[in-house]
Amino acid sequence: MDTLTIFRRAVGWRFHNRITIAVTLLQPVLWLVLYSLTAGPAMKLQGIENYTAFLFPGLVVLVSFSACGSGGMMNYMMKADGSFYRILTAPVRRGSIVLGQMLEAVLCSLFEVAVMAVISLFFSVKFPQTPGRLALLLVLAGCGAFLTAGLSYGISLALPNEMIYETAMNALALPVFFLSAALFPASQAQGVLSILIRLNPFTYLIGSMRALMLRGEIHPRETAAVILGFLLLGVLAFRWSAGLLEKETRR
Amino acid sequence: MDAIRVTHVTKQYPNGVLALKGLSLSVQTGEIFSLLGQNGAGKSTLIRILTTYLRPTSGEVTVLGRDVVREGAAVRSRIACAAQQVSLDSHLSLAENMRFQARLYRIPKEEGKRRMEELISAFGLEEFRNRPAAACSGGVKRRLDIALAILSHPGILFLDEPSAGMDVRSRLTMWEMLKQIRKEFGTTILLTTHDLEEAGCLSDTVCIIKDGREAAQGSPEALKSVLRRDMVCVQFSSGDEARRYLPLFLEEFPQNKPFVRDREIFWNAAGGDGGIGPAAAFLLRQRLPFVGVRIARPSMEDVFLRLTQEEMREEETTWTR
Repeated sequence: MDTLTIFRRAVGWRFHNRITIAVTLLQPVLWLVLYSLTAGPAMKLQGIENYTAFLFPGLVVLVSFSACGSGGMMNYMMKADGSFYRILTAPVRRGSIVLGQMLEAVLCSLFEVAVMAVISLFFSVKFPQTPGRLALLLVLAGCGAFLTAGLSYGISLALPNEMIYETAMNALALPVFFLSAALFPASQAQGVLSILIRLNPFTYLIGSMRALMLRGEIHPRETAAVILGFLLLGVLAFRWSAGLLEKETRR
Repeated sequence: MDAIRVTHVTKQYPNGVLALKGLSLSVQTGEIFSLLGQNGAGKSTLIRILTTYLRPTSGEVTVLGRDVVREGAAVRSRIACAAQQVSLDSHLSLAENMRFQARLYRIPKEEGKRRMEELISAFGLEEFRNRPAAACSGGVKRRLDIALAILSHPGILFLDEPSAGMDVRSRLTMWEMLKQIRKEFGTTILLTTHDLEEAGCLSDTVCIIKDGREAAQGSPEALKSVLRRDMVCVQFSSGDEARRYLPLFLEEFPQNKPFVRDREIFWNAAGGDGGIGPAAAFLLRQRLPFVGVRIARPSMEDVFLRLTQEEMREEETTWTR
């Protein structure tokens, strides 16, 4: 109940600050449209027929970082307008406060993924036709967003101001994006780069989404491992954030 | 029964600032209790500890019989607070802010609606009901902030400088509301204020805090009697004139330490030859152009200044407002 109350309030905040949706969508959409068109012919030589479709799962991760990052920004705004204090002194569990905001960030990420999906239809990207496969794609995207939402919330509590927060989020999101299989097949990476890409959990998330989208394949074990792994990491991020929120009152 | 008991509480912030230095006080159930103190005296820190937002470094704090550190969640369900900084969701309208508050405190929908209408009417917020909080004036936001705190009918209501930024009418309305809440629900109200009139008119008990410790605690009348002396007050037509003649008074009544406030010269009536009789004789002898002379009883302001200002006696000779 508390979680739902906080979630509804966060949705209201997002609706009021609709500009955050446009801004956080801008960069992934530019990648989707411009980069895929530019790099598409070169990638065709590598055997990738539709580079926009190939790029889409990586951009799901990028859009999650953007959307959830702006969710973390909400904490700074709440601190500035005092409502952060009001909620912390209300009879609401700390976990519900964190979870409510995390779920809103996940919802926003999925909404932005849906917008990107509509745009990508103009570039002949095909999505799974069956509801089950489509739902699986959403679950995978949601799991990634859940982890990034938890990380964003915790980082926003750990850092003193918005400017440092923005810098830190960029410093996290860009390496996660570039050192993954977002832009090219992981199998093509060599040496240290290959090790780093394999250490990045988002590589496996992108791989599962890509297999589903490009080839309609579901590898049950791998997919289950990815979902469980991301849920586990998401829960750890949630607990870390809830701990930091509790710590706010132990100063 | 004590609604709040604070025993030897210290609070040191991570940056080393020692905000509370062994503060002790108790608040009776159902009373209006005012904390008075200069900026930095530790009032807001105390409120933040009482509302479970901060933890004390040492000492014991119980609210409604519950320890604020070990039983924070139980405490939070029985209290509400309007902080010094207005704490609204600026993107929500006034009515939406109230609905959100009602949900936070798990007030049933119909009951929440009834209380909301009651508070909107009592605080004169009808015309702002659907306006986003961000678009309201500071005074309206403040009224809404207090209305939100009252909405849950808390056992203890904390108000950190509630009248800051309010016009006279709103302030009087709020005072009436606070008295009504206390009467109707037996709510204990703890407020911090710089407004000595507010403390004097509204409170059953006043606690003056100085440098993180209690300097005095008692009813407004009891505190006024702390000074135990009346003041002689000679009024002039302007502050400049009063200051011009002050040296003559200092020379005539050196033991009584005359000082200027506004356009009047004050001194303690007790001690030496500083009573109203010698004062009248002096004024007539000197043929000073005074407007009036009277005996003044000490105000809350006098008590406050007496208890909070260092080297008061030295300052009195030069202090003007």
